[in-house]
Amino acid sequence: MLGLSRIGAFFHFIGQFFPPELSWHYLSYLGTPIAETLAMAAGSIFVAVFIAIPLSLVIGTRMPGSALLYAALAAIRSIPDLTMAIFCVILVGLGRGAGLVTLIIYYSAAMAKVFGEIFLAADPRPLDALRATGASRISLAAFGLIPLKLSDAFSYGLYELESAMRASVIVGAVGAGGIGTELVGSLNAFEYRRITTLILVLVALIVLVDRFCWLVRRHPAALVVLPPAGIASVIFCWPQLLAVHHAIDTFSKMLPPHLAASEWHRIPALVIQTLEIAAGGTLVAAVLAVIVSPATTRGIAPGFVVMCVRRVLDFARAVPELVWGLLFVTFVVGGPWAGIFALGLHSFGVLGKLFSESLENVPLGPIRALEATGAPRVAVAAFGKYPLAFGPIIVHALFRFEWNVRAATVLGLIGAGGIGEALFDAQEMFFYRQMFAYLIVTCVMVGALDYASRQLRKRYRVSWEAIE
Amino acid sequence: MLRLEDITVRYSPNGQAVLDRLNLVAEPGERVALVGPSGAGKTTLLRSINASVSIESGKVSVGEVLVSAVRGRALRQIRSRIAFIAQKHDLVDRLSVYQNVLAGALGRWSTAHGLRFLIWPRTSELDEARDALESVGLAHKLRARTTELSGGEQQRVAIARALVQHPLVLLADEPVASLDPETSAQVLKLLCDLAKSRRITLICSLHQPDLARRYFDRVVRITTGRAVLVPSSLTPSAPRERASVPC
Repeated sequence: MLGLSRIGAFFHFIGQFFPPELSWHYLSYLGTPIAETLAMAAGSIFVAVFIAIPLSLVIGTRMPGSALLYAALAAIRSIPDLTMAIFCVILVGLGRGAGLVTLIIYYSAAMAKVFGEIFLAADPRPLDALRATGASRISLAAFGLIPLKLSDAFSYGLYELESAMRASVIVGAVGAGGIGTELVGSLNAFEYRRITTLILVLVALIVLVDRFCWLVRRHPAALVVLPPAGIASVIFCWPQLLAVHHAIDTFSKMLPPHLAASEWHRIPALVIQTLEIAAGGTLVAAVLAVIVSPATTRGIAPGFVVMCVRRVLDFARAVPELVWGLLFVTFVVGGPWAGIFALGLHSFGVLGKLFSESLENVPLGPIRALEATGAPRVAVAAFGKYPLAFGPIIVHALFRFEWNVRAATVLGLIGAGGIGEALFDAQEMFFYRQMFAYLIVTCVMVGALDYASRQLRKRYRVSWEAIE
Repeated sequence: MLRLEDITVRYSPNGQAVLDRLNLVAEPGERVALVGPSGAGKTTLLRSINASVSIESGKVSVGEVLVSAVRGRALRQIRSRIAFIAQKHDLVDRLSVYQNVLAGALGRWSTAHGLRFLIWPRTSELDEARDALESVGLAHKLRARTTELSGGEQQRVAIARALVQHPLVLLADEPVASLDPETSAQVLKLLCDLAKSRRITLICSLHQPDLARRYFDRVVRITTGRAVLVPSSLTPSAPRERASVPC
């Protein structure tokens, strides 16, 4: 009987989320947050491209100081995006302005770094030939690097646009405006039906951006809408105030970073817990993704099954880790398990998509040869597609782990534990010097992992083409 | 016996025919070389024989089976007796040599059998792979990784895989295009000898007319979708064609 009443309670609980609130009053109110979220994403990527391209060419042509620049970009990128958002809120106040500035800084650094890596990975032979003609660094970039690697950089840029869309929801969680701020408000007030509405809006927005990127990949001419949209977005989000004094005052309170001896002793355990959450989430996601992979791959499962399962993946992916985390913490379970499930669900969506793409993009030759022997579909998959896609699948999972370490620190905000929680606790109590110390630890941890993954990539010669 | 009657292939509905009412007959054990310029339709011809290219009109038959008319399981069954060797890159490089060789048996094995073999191969199965490798001179590479092999060795593994199919017809699409001249000659000789001794019909496209004349019973020149028999042939292959032109 106990079991039955529990099941009843569960359905009662789920029932509270339905139907989503769709009153005209609420929907018209949501117009501004939706516009803010879209504008933060579009505006930041638009500005970031202009900052990132020159910086990445400095790295790509190995100009003097490029190593230093690279290190600085890696350091900026290793700051959790929520912490960056808090810094920006200190500087320009609450609202969409802070969100825009956060995302511009974050994506300028991220794109400059990856564009730089893409340029460094360019085929050296045509570049040597150009150098032999006595070409300057600028003409080397114009005649060599850019034409050679434009399409790679382009496809990574689009990938970042999708990523910025999710990030613009995340930064909202600390009051930087948009859907994220609304969602946190509704969660705190237990407005179940509005939560459902907001999640649906969020999924719709991400699907919209995803479709736009898909369109641009096929018809690059569609990109012409981005500059006017970008300019309009920047104007719409432009910060209303610039509290330089306040910011200097606050930032100076962070110096010098300081931790008590007892806090120092906790650091290894905190770092290990963060790594555990990331590893747990990645493992959950990878196992789920491998299990569903036959059903998501054209050529293994029938077309309509692939269509249906992929929509489930799209949904899991569209909801950012932090939002999954907020839902888990509020309604299911708290602590590290919330972190693991949150990372696991979002990464399941990502890895499921990447695994099915890896399985579809295996070299055609061996697959045709197997089909020509009259082998049934499943045998072709087992003897051809899976062995051939094994390498990319492992690489995707490792990259996801690296990403998840970063994401796990952000999940500290919701009390998932690890170094992130220590960081956000210190920040909430205005212990700025501790906060800064934890931030440095976080950056060192993320930076070390980034370095390790780069060495791994160099060793196995995996570049962005293999990831995208 | 392989028989192509009046086959026409078009890649777009109103486009030019890639193959235009082409005829070809080949006996068991007969070795036919296809020569001709790039884009003339040699690969399309080969791929229409195992129905990986669908034909617009005409008939393809292997033995008693009308390949151009069967679908699904029946198609897979006849395909399991039509082996195909590509120019290169058609081995699964993450599998070992014996796994690649016995992939040739997937057409007659059940799916469950195939999966079990991947995890737990039986001695009898390994013996079958060793026999096939023996006939291409690579028995010692049974458990090697495919990536450790040279180009010529990889091509011989592909031939061993074809032999495991017990093929009625063996299709080879420029099997030596990525090999050096000496290895090319060895691989072609091996293919032709095996076809003769095992009474397999061998249809092989080639870029080198001299190699074609040296090893094959018959050389057919394909120009703009038509088959033209090169003199010194045994049987006429394209009765509709005008007098043939030397190549």
